[in-house]
Amino acid sequence: MISFYDVTLRDGNHALRHTLTPDFVREYCQIAEQSGVWAVEVGHGNGIGASSFLVGKAKTDDNSLLAAARESLNKVKLAIHAIPGFATIKRDLIPAIKSGVDIFRIGTHVTEVTTAQKHVEFLSAQNQTVHGVLMMSHAIDLKGLVSQSKLMASYGASAVVLMDSAGNYVPKDVVARVAALKQEIGVQVGFHAHNNLGVGVSNAISAIENDATIIDGSSMGLGAGAGNAPLESIIVNYRRMTGSAPPLDKFLEMSHLVEMKYPEFLPRTTSSSIQSGDAGVFSGFAPQVRQLAAEFGVSQEDLWQELGKRRLVAGQESMIREIAQDLMNL
Amino acid sequence: MSNDKIKVAVIGTGNIGTDLCERLLKDPKFEVLAFVGRRSTSSGLMRMSGRVPNLLDSGIDSLEPLWAQLDGVFDATSASAHAEHWAIVQKHKRWIIDLTPSRIGKQLVPVLIDKSASMKISTENVANYSMITCGGQSSAALIYAITKHAKSVEEVEISSSIASLSAGPATRNNIDEYIDSTENMATLLTGCSAVKSILVLNPAEPPVMMRTTVHVRAANFDLVQILKETRDLVAKVKSYVPGYDLVVEPHVAGSGQISATVKVLGSGYYLPEYSGNLDIINAAAVETATQHVQANRLKDARIKS
Repeated sequence: MISFYDVTLRDGNHALRHTLTPDFVREYCQIAEQSGVWAVEVGHGNGIGASSFLVGKAKTDDNSLLAAARESLNKVKLAIHAIPGFATIKRDLIPAIKSGVDIFRIGTHVTEVTTAQKHVEFLSAQNQTVHGVLMMSHAIDLKGLVSQSKLMASYGASAVVLMDSAGNYVPKDVVARVAALKQEIGVQVGFHAHNNLGVGVSNAISAIENDATIIDGSSMGLGAGAGNAPLESIIVNYRRMTGSAPPLDKFLEMSHLVEMKYPEFLPRTTSSSIQSGDAGVFSGFAPQVRQLAAEFGVSQEDLWQELGKRRLVAGQESMIREIAQDLMNL
Repeated sequence: MSNDKIKVAVIGTGNIGTDLCERLLKDPKFEVLAFVGRRSTSSGLMRMSGRVPNLLDSGIDSLEPLWAQLDGVFDATSASAHAEHWAIVQKHKRWIIDLTPSRIGKQLVPVLIDKSASMKISTENVANYSMITCGGQSSAALIYAITKHAKSVEEVEISSSIASLSAGPATRNNIDEYIDSTENMATLLTGCSAVKSILVLNPAEPPVMMRTTVHVRAANFDLVQILKETRDLVAKVKSYVPGYDLVVEPHVAGSGQISATVKVLGSGYYLPEYSGNLDIINAAAVETATQHVQANRLKDARIKS
């Protein structure tokens, strides 16, 4: 059994530059509730509590978005993403518990799992369902990936989700990583694709073939950078592979809703996304790269390359200006 | 008498305490009478063998015979131990500089002493100063300079990125407390309650240098005055944190927003250069102790005359 996990209303908020509204959340969740999707994740693109000048101010606060989703979700689970360093237990996680969130995903850069110990243990002690998310999961060797995943599990996470935040994987990478985790850690494994290289759906399918049981996708691929693996494409592929899948109609209805409402925000694979994906740079930097490349008169390509060289991680958006400034002065 | 060396003890022999001890030993204003740990075999204590007269391994109790000679102590242990240390220091009527995240002491950023109403040196010798966080120490000058020349400050944001290697277990375990304490300082400085602090760890090799960006949203700014004030304060911080530099000057970053970024390079006393986050805390601790002692000795001299 695969749990299909819908990140449209969270990762999609990156593509929408954090302008998601409670009305849209409500309308979307009403369809999602009928779709057979397992969970819907809601909030700021960088997770709850991340609205900031640094990574983008949200038009609507997380609690209002969560409340709108909660009204419309019953069978389907309400989920959040939260990153320690942005979100805190007191300010963000406790209110999220009160908002009736069912699944808590706590994410860190793939090498920094120890920063999530308190948050995962806290939620676990509250008997909440908590999953550990390894962001930028390509940026570590296999051995490191396994040991960081084991740490997450030891804190009480009942699943470890590999995020391909840069859209850097090709299917063989997914095969190796998901298979290793399945073998080494005793908890569920999830996979979250980005489509920078145009292989988001293939990567999601590879994860399924290697026994990942939580598969992320978003309607129309609405997500950071080149977007996620389109959920509707994952569903149809899964049906053709196995003969059984949730019916497609509601997934198409959700993707249609996104397409009609946000035609100018739909992500796609571009020369720039291919470069950032290949360089292994966080997809969420795209708006800053576009803006600052123009402001300083440097090429986006050069800027992506330099960000890759300096190995920036999510949350270092303010360094992009400094780097663009350096490039201009070369 | 006011030219006497400042006689101190450092409690805590981990990375921070050891770096602090190195730096105090090289500072002609100070005399380190004791370095205090809990294990005689700790690498910090062994390193100071022959360099600090009293290497003590039974915690703060082992300072008992030395209080009469000590001016004050630096506490580089843990938040929970700090409460106990502060009680003992008060009993002996001494000062303590708190490098733990306990939040017991008065938050102090040396460059803002007597500038900000919230940052004052105690007029009593008995005092407890908290060095806040690396984000707090590195952002305070920017926050002060920007908000001083702004009208109706609506939001203040501090985001810092540090090298993963420089973030020990204490930082990782107390990341929420770090955020809380940094935000508390920003509110104290500006009176603004819409404050946000963000901390990001970067594992890149070679390690990244610490950066702190401050964002302020307000109704009005005087950018010319902000630039002038910022450059002036950054130069003053640089006098006690040599690796502190303004890398992105205050600029308009959107409507009603000003942003600026500093970089902090460590001085390399004991900790490596990429540990600017730890360096700025230790540098602030030494500067605070110096200012406290000078102010109080001056006061005592005035009373006597």
